Amino acid sequence: MTIYSLYIYDRHCACVYYQDWHRTKGPRPAAMEGGILPAVSPAVYPRHEEPTFESASTYSSPRNTLTSSSGIVVAINDDAPRTPLPQQTQTSTSQPSALSSILTFDEESKLVYGVVLSLRNMVKKLSGKDEQFVNYKTSTYKMHLYETLSGYKFVMLTDPNADSLRFVLRQIYSGPFLEYVVRNPLMSMDSREHGIDNEYFRMSTDRMIRGLTIFQ
Amino acid sequence: MAIHGLWVINKAGGLVYQRNFGDGLPHLTSNEYLVLAGTLHGIHAITSRLSPTGSSSGAQEICGETFKMTILLTATGTKFVLLTSLAEPNAGSVLQKVYEAYADAVMKNPFHTPEMPIRSEGFDTRITALIGSG
Repeated sequence: MTIYSLYIYDRHCACVYYQDWHRTKGPRPAAMEGGILPAVSPAVYPRHEEPTFESASTYSSPRNTLTSSSGIVVAINDDAPRTPLPQQTQTSTSQPSALSSILTFDEESKLVYGVVLSLRNMVKKLSGKDEQFVNYKTSTYKMHLYETLSGYKFVMLTDPNADSLRFVLRQIYSGPFLEYVVRNPLMSMDSREHGIDNEYFRMSTDRMIRGLTIFQ
Repeated sequence: MAIHGLWVINKAGGLVYQRNFGDGLPHLTSNEYLVLAGTLHGIHAITSRLSPTGSSSGAQEICGETFKMTILLTATGTKFVLLTSLAEPNAGSVLQKVYEAYADAVMKNPFHTPEMPIRSEGFDTRITALIGSG
């Protein structure tokens, strides 16, 4: 039983916040052209140091060697990769499927939003009334959704055996989110240019999640 | 404790069988069901890629506030979807029995074209016996 990650989307479909805990398969940092807003999460923000000519071929890019199996993205604010680059050059041809099976963060966040939005519309259509989509589960994870009246969507990925964690998402909204984002005069809500990441919000969300009995 | 509906989706995402039981959920037009089945097919494929821990199956259970959809994906890519109330404990075993009925009454039927809509009285009666007439 554990909690994997938290995404927050605003009403313009943009991911404004991301945090993860126990992911064994972390996201690759977002691509430069992926359209990820600044201040979403330091771990997944595209790295500016990277020369642009290398982004032409995705598989030989040094960025791809930075995915770690430990769930920690090693490419945080680092000029040079800490892990030595693999020697073999034929990786680009022999392992494209292995590498491309790990999504970059911008692709992943768009897929998450797409799934949430489609399921939400499907549940509304099937129920015939304004019923909300609550969660779905697969063999390895469960996704929970809480949508506020203002259109913010809180999405959480947890262990498949977890109970409904909607109340936790609601607590994040009514606690840290209101306190450190909505009531923060330095925060430009709905800007379409900035995420909502700030130290207080990240810290108190982290504390709240780590305090849950399901978090181990 | 109620079963609202049963869908069978072929491996290309087309709805080949759809039946409602009772009035728990509103009845939509067949066109709307086709669209929803296609959407579900796409979502199912995406959900298996979003796993935070290695490879995953697609969505197995999708919950709303008053109903849930239980999805059985067979080895051949056919999906069986059961729409039930939230407190339905044996949706999985019902789906397994539906799969058996499908294998017996549809796949062994020499007049059935694979991947095409199921028009088999035998399957209908087996489903009625299994779930009820609705």
